[in-house]
Amino acid sequence: MLSHLIIGASGLYLGDMLFIAISFIILMALIAKVAWNPVTKMMGDRADKIANDIDSAKKSRQEATDLADQRREALSHSRSEASDIVAEAKQSGEKQRTTIVADAQNEATQYKQNARKDIEQERQDALKNVQSDVADISVQIASKIIKKQLDPEGQQALINSYIEGLGKHES
Amino acid sequence: MGDPVPTVKFLGLTFNIANDISILLTCIIVFLFVFLLSRHLALKPKGGQNVLEWLIEFTNGIVKGSIKGNDASHFGLYAFTLFLFIFVANQLGLFLHIQVGQYTYVKSPTADPIVTLTLSFMTVALAHAAGVQKKGLKGYLKDYTSPFLVFLPINIFEQFTDFLTLGLRLFGNIFAGEMLLSKVATLATGGGSWFSYVYSFPIEFLWQGFSVFIGSVQAFVFVTLTSVYISQKVSPEE
Repeated sequence: MLSHLIIGASGLYLGDMLFIAISFIILMALIAKVAWNPVTKMMGDRADKIANDIDSAKKSRQEATDLADQRREALSHSRSEASDIVAEAKQSGEKQRTTIVADAQNEATQYKQNARKDIEQERQDALKNVQSDVADISVQIASKIIKKQLDPEGQQALINSYIEGLGKHES
Repeated sequence: MGDPVPTVKFLGLTFNIANDISILLTCIIVFLFVFLLSRHLALKPKGGQNVLEWLIEFTNGIVKGSIKGNDASHFGLYAFTLFLFIFVANQLGLFLHIQVGQYTYVKSPTADPIVTLTLSFMTVALAHAAGVQKKGLKGYLKDYTSPFLVFLPINIFEQFTDFLTLGLRLFGNIFAGEMLLSKVATLATGGGSWFSYVYSFPIEFLWQGFSVFIGSVQAFVFVTLTSVYISQKVSPEE
């Protein structure tokens, strides 16, 4: 085998060396075109994609936490708002109640006063009527007394007729 | 081995037909292997793509083991091709030995020193070229005098020993394997009776298995040393 080496060095197999080198370079070029470049590109893409996925997952988790915080805050805010509204409603209801009651009381006293005034008026009217009636009747009695000469019998009859007339008048 | 070799002269250069056919066959096998595995590439790998990516990760791992930093990515393709080529070349002779007349036309091309030394020469040339490209001619030459000027002859001598050991180690391993295989085969056929086949079969079988192992290890070692030599040339001096 040593003779191989010596002969090789002296140039006998220079053709072989060229053949090996050239075929190896061609093989390398073909592998680069067919497999190496697409596969390494794919591997790089995958690494990028995984990195992106991790980043975006982190980001969306952050977003989700932010959103949850926001919701929680909004919820507590709306809860306090709701209790405010209820308190306000209670207050206004109370106010309305007092005004309604006050109004009703006012009205009632008004009605009472009116009624009292009316009653007074009617009483005054009735008294006035009675006065005029009494005056009339007195005039009539006087006229009747004057008209008739009075004997005890006649007097009795007169009184009776008067009383009868009075009852009739009154009824 | 030591058999006469078929040669042909072309353009004043001598070609060993047996070597060239074996190399061509190796190249075709490697290419077909890679070609068939790299069909239907997808972001989510399956089947052949997984195997291919595993191989690429493997050779990239060897390269990154010795070459630091960004430089490693430039030599990934070379290491990958070199590994597959040497691996297939080592195994080729274990399964295929085509002999026509007195010439063996198909065998392991790496069982010939001219092939392994050419591969080793390519590696060394690549390492030196990378060194010049990385550090400039001045920085490249300055490395020869490190750590002191006294080391200049040793450093120059080392370039030749690197080149020779790298090539001859591979050659020695594969050549010895093939030699023993053919001796065992002679043992079987030369025994003169059917009995020689019976006892030589397990020996052949075992040795073939061991040769597969050796061939794989040598491919790994060759690529590892290649990246070590390149890293020596491109790495900054400490």
